[in-house]
Amino acid sequence: MLALVRWLSETSASSAIREVDGLIPLLQTIHILAIAMVMSSLLMIDLRVLQVTISQTQSIADAAHRFESWIWTGLVLLAASGVTLIIAEPQRTLPNSSFQTKIVLIALAAATTYALRISLRRNAEFFSVSGKATRAAKLLAVSAFILWCAVAAAGRFIAYTQPT
Amino acid sequence: MDYVIALLESLEHSALAVSIAESNWAFPIVETIHVIALALTIGTVLIMDLRLLGLASAKQRYTALRRDVFPWTWWAFGGAVVSGCLMFITQATEYYKNEAFRIKLLLLLLAGINMLVFELIIARGAANWNQESPVPWPGKVAALLSIALWISIVFFGRRVGFTMLLGRD
Repeated sequence: MLALVRWLSETSASSAIREVDGLIPLLQTIHILAIAMVMSSLLMIDLRVLQVTISQTQSIADAAHRFESWIWTGLVLLAASGVTLIIAEPQRTLPNSSFQTKIVLIALAAATTYALRISLRRNAEFFSVSGKATRAAKLLAVSAFILWCAVAAAGRFIAYTQPT
Repeated sequence: MDYVIALLESLEHSALAVSIAESNWAFPIVETIHVIALALTIGTVLIMDLRLLGLASAKQRYTALRRDVFPWTWWAFGGAVVSGCLMFITQATEYYKNEAFRIKLLLLLLAGINMLVFELIIARGAANWNQESPVPWPGKVAALLSIALWISIVFFGRRVGFTMLLGRD
């Protein structure tokens, strides 16, 4: 791990990112905007799945089609800005226990979000405006949201955890 | 100005501020709540803005979408304000002097004015904004301003963290 951190921090890409003034806060801004895309889109799907939305003009399919692509696009943006930040400061992240926890949580959250997508499509009422979600889908919807909140928490704790 | 500094110092020395500053966990937890709350604020604002621009949710009637989305914007914004205030009181005088923080507050004020103008004047005919009758241009201008302002608010907010003692990068 130490060798990887040292090698990565000595690459020209790493120093190039660090040396551009204001680039790291800019990358973090993109990272936060992508978090907004993912979490708000998931919130909108969850609200329809849990039947909290009041307008009742949208089927589960409408909500899923409107917002799922924003979740996956947001995740790609998060990965791209995240990897760039890791290359810039590998010693800040790779040996950091909060970062390692975050990676595990991301895998869980992404898998749960994908399971929600599958579960919604298996529902016969998927295309009905008054369609109700299954209990499994409701559970997955809530779990996915909580897991993404945990990912955000682990991400913020990186700045407060000393690398080991 | 002395009054302002005195008030900020008393905030900083309050029991609540001291306990947040002294705890190892309180500040990052409050920051996490701030990140999640602001993500939901901006995300839901963007959903409405993209609808106004006709780029997303275009099939949905504007007022129906607003009913579903807007209450969540307010809940999330409330959470961001409360968590933001909790961070502010821990180093009130430092935040007050911080340039990025001042710019961020100014941008928040502008976003608020933009929203007021939109809600009170531009959105008067909003009941008719459906698939057949698109949003008039002042609504689209307000949406573009809103997107630009909120992205800038995130940018300057992140810069505050780089220039303060308790908040970390």
